[in-house]
Amino acid sequence: MSNFFAGYLPLFDLYCIHIGLALSQFIVLRAGVFSLATAAFTGIGAYTAGILAVDFGAHPVLGVICGTLAGMLVATVLSIPLARLRGVYQAIATVAFIQICLSLNIYAEGLTGGALGLNNIPKTVGTGTLVIFAALATYLIWAIERGRIGRAFNTIRQDEAVAASLGISIRKHQMLAFAISGALAGLFGGLEAYHSYAIDPRQFGFHLLITILSYVIFGGRNSVIGPLAGAAFLIILPELARPLAENRMVIYGVMLILVINFMPKGVADTTIDAIKARRLKAKLRKAEAEARS
Amino acid sequence: MTSLKLANLSKRFGGVVASENVNIEVPAGKIIGLIGPNGAGKTTIVNMITGMLPVSGGTIQVGDVDITHAPAHEICRSGLARTFQNIRLLGEASVLDNVMIGLHRHETSSTLSALLGLPASGRETAALKIRAMKLLADFDLTEFADYPAGGLSYGHQRKVEMARAVATNPDFILLDEPIAGMNNVESDALAEIFLGFARDGKGVLLIEHNVRFVAKLCSHVYVLDGGRLISEGTPEHVLSDPAVITAYLGGEDA
Amino acid sequence: MLAQQLLNGLVVSGVYALFSLGFTLVFGIQRILNLAHGAVFMTGAMVAYYTVEGGGPLWLGFALAIIASGCLSVLVEITCFRRLRKTGDEEFGGVVSSIGAGLVITTIAQQISSTQILRFPFETFPVVIFRFWGLRVSMLQLFMAGAALVMVLILGYLFYKTAFGRRVRAVTDNERAATLMGINPNKVYMQTYFMAGALAGAAGVLVGLAFNSISFVMGEPYMMFGFAIIILGGLGSIPGALLASVVFGMVQTLTIAYLPSGLTDTIIFAALFLILLVRPNGLLGREDAGNLGGRR
Repeated sequence: MSNFFAGYLPLFDLYCIHIGLALSQFIVLRAGVFSLATAAFTGIGAYTAGILAVDFGAHPVLGVICGTLAGMLVATVLSIPLARLRGVYQAIATVAFIQICLSLNIYAEGLTGGALGLNNIPKTVGTGTLVIFAALATYLIWAIERGRIGRAFNTIRQDEAVAASLGISIRKHQMLAFAISGALAGLFGGLEAYHSYAIDPRQFGFHLLITILSYVIFGGRNSVIGPLAGAAFLIILPELARPLAENRMVIYGVMLILVINFMPKGVADTTIDAIKARRLKAKLRKAEAEARS
Repeated sequence: MTSLKLANLSKRFGGVVASENVNIEVPAGKIIGLIGPNGAGKTTIVNMITGMLPVSGGTIQVGDVDITHAPAHEICRSGLARTFQNIRLLGEASVLDNVMIGLHRHETSSTLSALLGLPASGRETAALKIRAMKLLADFDLTEFADYPAGGLSYGHQRKVEMARAVATNPDFILLDEPIAGMNNVESDALAEIFLGFARDGKGVLLIEHNVRFVAKLCSHVYVLDGGRLISEGTPEHVLSDPAVITAYLGGEDA
Repeated sequence: MLAQQLLNGLVVSGVYALFSLGFTLVFGIQRILNLAHGAVFMTGAMVAYYTVEGGGPLWLGFALAIIASGCLSVLVEITCFRRLRKTGDEEFGGVVSSIGAGLVITTIAQQISSTQILRFPFETFPVVIFRFWGLRVSMLQLFMAGAALVMVLILGYLFYKTAFGRRVRAVTDNERAATLMGINPNKVYMQTYFMAGALAGAAGVLVGLAFNSISFVMGEPYMMFGFAIIILGGLGSIPGALLASVVFGMVQTLTIAYLPSGLTDTIIFAALFLILLVRPNGLLGREDAGNLGGRR
């Protein structure tokens, strides 16, 4: 019986790490920022932690903290020029940023190991740690959503002019969103580094970008459940059947097209909205019945 | 007594003069009207006041605070709220949520407690909900609290927008063509609300096309045409001013 | 030497122009950033390869590539973007949808080509070198430059001198008004997407011939270059894309020739980043890249 679970452990570990990344992508989109840079921040966090471990023998806790800080710092700095852009321009800029990080990574072979990547990172992070951090990250995003910052993000995303007219500082909030996104990505990048012996630059490029984006698109961009459900579904799906695993990318591609066209809110959020609407209708019907009697 | 003062306000786009030498004063507790034919430059004035458009010359002051060059989000903090011509509610959010955002300005919990979901933030959210519900009750909107705002009738959406603007606890309210597309019953209901604003001591700047509505409500009216003020005074005075009639109906050569 | 590099750069610019024109055309008309464009480009190269490998003449491969890419581009429009136009979510939804389309196309191509790098049979294009004024230019280069020039001229003629072009410009300006004037926007969009795809496919064949290396991922670097070019030229501006292609082609050729390799990519993307910061509207663009108005 325990073998059954042991077989799926690596998948679960992957899920925990990718929850963090999905949440990182989620929070920037929530604030109306069309950033796809999470993959780059993850790489920055991973390499910071990895280099500290391999070249300086740093303690994993220090490594992870530095990875988180590095991600947060870079994201915050990036938000300054990006504040002047909107929509596709922001998206392109963040994709260019990913590419710059990739190119610099390969160019700075001495530090990062170049295309061959960084090896011999001590594996000090296990499933337990990952679960704890995944839970903490989920709590963080959930708490933000319920509070004033989440409300401000929401407003900015839907109508900037209204947000400004109500006293919400768009610049400050979007910078905050970037910072949180970068911190989360950096954190889980660091955890990934200490979890998998070796990292290489290709891990943090377009493949990761598309994967993370898929989680959020598929699950939903509205509630915290969205990225969690999306990641769960998309990670489990290829495991259900061989042909699914072999054609993973095609399925992701088709899914992106179908979901954004027919269920733009994402599967989880559309379901949640349907439930809410049904509850509202029931409440109405009850009120009408009471009024009549 | 404080007032909202526009002094010698002007706006130039390159060589084109959109507004010039506009002087308007909105004292607290009064409803002031701003009318003018299409293209007169009313929207330009509104955008300058609310910080959406940079000012080329002149000043805008709320009481003692100079907001001429203040960024849009600081305008609200200086006590000026606005409504939009085309009702910009957050369509998918509930009516309650829409009004709650109006209360954002008053939130004092620290960023940290908001980030981590500390009890202080939770308490504040609960308190805000109560305040928002009270506002909805003031506007007779309690039954719609959980509805998505986009699903309400036009008249009700306008009221939600008013509630949201009032939630910011402003000293001055800028109403940008609030009764466009309404029948008399709906607009009369809104008129009552506006009179309520004035009774509460707020200064109201009402920008409208419906001259009769403006004449009924306002103690003082300004007329804009071609970016300049061509008349001002009591409604009776302005409506019988030949310059105003010409602007609206065209001159002798028209 | 410098003149030689400038010549090479010009040829490269021609290919970039073919790629970027389609890219910017689609954005200009629908505000959609079609990230499947690179996959369409790659498809052109593949179609030409398999035609030649199956024994067909190169000119047939070229023609089939253009037609196939055009049709593929239209298919992408119908399946991925048409619905989004109705819901109004083209900006974000278009990006996501086209990422999906690109993914599907490249994965299928990967299967078909068994993840191999494909090379045209030797002498598919005759290897002839001309020398004059101390410069060295191959017949292939002449063909590339010539083909690019001809296609750009045809596009220009279609766009500015025909009724079709007027319809495209009308729909770009104001879709609803154009509909009221009796123009069928769907037809116009299909035709535009066909042109964009055809140009990209042609570029694909030329690049495939030039480097004699065709793979299912060959579109990716061109997408990034395409970004840089159309941003530099101004999103949606055809003359801008042309101008930017020339600038870009020249700069890239010169940096490869005179600067240490491996740095070229970083420079290009850093430049793209800077352009976005300093002048997101590019050289000739007319979009408003930053505004405080509501998103809708």
